[in-house]
Amino acid sequence: MSDSKTKPVIEIEDVCKTYYMAGGMSQSVLKHVSFSVNPGEFVAIMGHSGSGKSTLMNILGCLDRPTSGVYKLDGTAVSEKNDAELAHIRGREIGFVFQNFNLLMKRTIADNVSLPLIYQGVNEKDRYERAIQMLHKVQLDGYQDRLPTQISGGMQQRVAIARALINNPKIIFADEPTGNLDSITSDEIMNLFTDLNKQGITIVLVTHEDDVADYAKRMIKIGDGKKVYDGLRSAYTGEDKEC
Amino acid sequence: MLGQILREAWISITAYKMRTFLTMLGIMIGVAAVVLMVAAGQTVQNEITKTFDSMGTNLIIIGPGETVSGGVRGGRGRPSVSFDDVESLRELKDVETSSYIVNTAVQAVYGSNNYGVSVAGTTPEYLNIGNWEIDQGIMFTDRDLRSGKPYAVIGQTIVNELFGLQDPIGKTLRLKGKPFTVIGTLKEKGDGLMGDDQDNIILMPATTLRQRLKGSNRPQYSDIAFVKVTEENKMESVANRIEYQLRARHRLKDGVQNDFTVRLMTDMVEKVRSVGFYLSLLLAAIASISLVVGSIGIMNMMLVSVTERTREIGTRKALGAPNRWIMFQFLAESILISFIGSFVGMIIGVVLSQIGGQILDKEVPISVWSVVISISVAVVVGVVSGLMPAIKAMKLDPIEALRYQ
Repeated sequence: MSDSKTKPVIEIEDVCKTYYMAGGMSQSVLKHVSFSVNPGEFVAIMGHSGSGKSTLMNILGCLDRPTSGVYKLDGTAVSEKNDAELAHIRGREIGFVFQNFNLLMKRTIADNVSLPLIYQGVNEKDRYERAIQMLHKVQLDGYQDRLPTQISGGMQQRVAIARALINNPKIIFADEPTGNLDSITSDEIMNLFTDLNKQGITIVLVTHEDDVADYAKRMIKIGDGKKVYDGLRSAYTGEDKEC
Repeated sequence: MLGQILREAWISITAYKMRTFLTMLGIMIGVAAVVLMVAAGQTVQNEITKTFDSMGTNLIIIGPGETVSGGVRGGRGRPSVSFDDVESLRELKDVETSSYIVNTAVQAVYGSNNYGVSVAGTTPEYLNIGNWEIDQGIMFTDRDLRSGKPYAVIGQTIVNELFGLQDPIGKTLRLKGKPFTVIGTLKEKGDGLMGDDQDNIILMPATTLRQRLKGSNRPQYSDIAFVKVTEENKMESVANRIEYQLRARHRLKDGVQNDFTVRLMTDMVEKVRSVGFYLSLLLAAIASISLVVGSIGIMNMMLVSVTERTREIGTRKALGAPNRWIMFQFLAESILISFIGSFVGMIIGVVLSQIGGQILDKEVPISVWSVVISISVAVVVGVVSGLMPAIKAMKLDPIEALRYQ
């Protein structure tokens, strides 16, 4: 799927993740996975629970490091970085959207949206202004001074999306973003992602739901730690094979 | 960055007001208790100093020798220092003056009033040595002393108890049925070290007391004698001269023990002051136990808070918070709690100590120690009790933390 003219935003090559447990036991969760994602793509990573898709997501999101293999984010090899450098990259290059939103319930919506900017030393006034701009992007104008507890689940997830957008990330990772929402609200959220993707934002979505995956153009399926499908979502026949 | 961290910490601790307040309460009580105890100790020390100042500090006190029987030291021996001995000491170098006292306790009667008083037979110099001042009338003179005039100079307690609103000067009061003319009154001195009433005193010529109240024909010996030294740093040398002089006058051979004792007031002041100091230290040490308890309270709350906010910590880390930031935020929370608690505790301690001073009618100092103690407690307690929870928060794995329910 890679276009030779554009530099991929994500490039993983031969990535393995093995967990070593007490007693010398080890478990291979990812086995020699390779692919790349170009700017502007909308990719769904699918797989059953236990397939290794969450581990893959953690590595892509710079929350974890591969045991072996190379991961380049926007051309930079991040598999070698230390914790502080990874935190720096997460704060500037990546936006996260979680299944359970992970908002700070005691803080205003503006505070939540602008949280990543605190760690970049942006002052309070600028943070507030940026938060209002981001809330506009997710159609939550005027909600900046409310608390997350005062709005619905769908709105909370939109706040989380605004928070993911605030640092102008290279890529947004959404981990089961509709897992806690009803179907109507799910559609709203997925349409929002589609809109954002049309504006050129790269989105990687992790899901196990087919109708959610349908919003993505490309699909990567993980089975038993291996990549078993990588291609157009519309061309997926249900037949998996190692590739 | 510090401002941002403090602001985040402030918002976090104010989000749980009741819990934060209760945690602060431990430190507040601890600091208030320490400040209060330090104030109490200092008040005691000040009172001691004041009492000594009312007696004068560059005094040498000469008392009877110690009794020794069969190698065992007993209490005080018989009075051995005569009036003449004491007067002879006035000629020594660096001695300003000297005086002596013969004590007795009798019932004083005036009209239908009577009161138990302590009577000091002494010399006119005692006024200077005992830091007494004449309120009304006059002190008796050397001539009165030599002729044994029946004069009395009375303390304020006796003025009040026997004469009430009347002017006592020129009145005649009776001691053991014998008449004494009041020629002067003493200014008030207040309570002594042991809570004794220093103003319950009648001064009269020592000769008068000996003849009229004791009816004694024994040689004139003092119960206690005082030598006032010109300068405080001459005390030791004067004490040596006194010892030499008295041994010579008493014709004591080498190797024979003194039949008198010489003590320096400065030594006694030092001793009593150090008792006061250790008393304050002890009080503060006991009070600081509550500080330790308060500190454990903060640590406990911070540990609960870290566990409770595991997801928050995971989220912050995922969104780019460096580990250091997380650690400093939690550390800032415990320092803020301990700082505010200490500050409020200091104010409570100072206010309570002043109220206590008002109630007991004592002047309680507001000491810099209160501030020093409070600030150091705030920093030490905040860091010590916050460090472990902060490190725990810092070490959380973001993946685990995000999964935490």
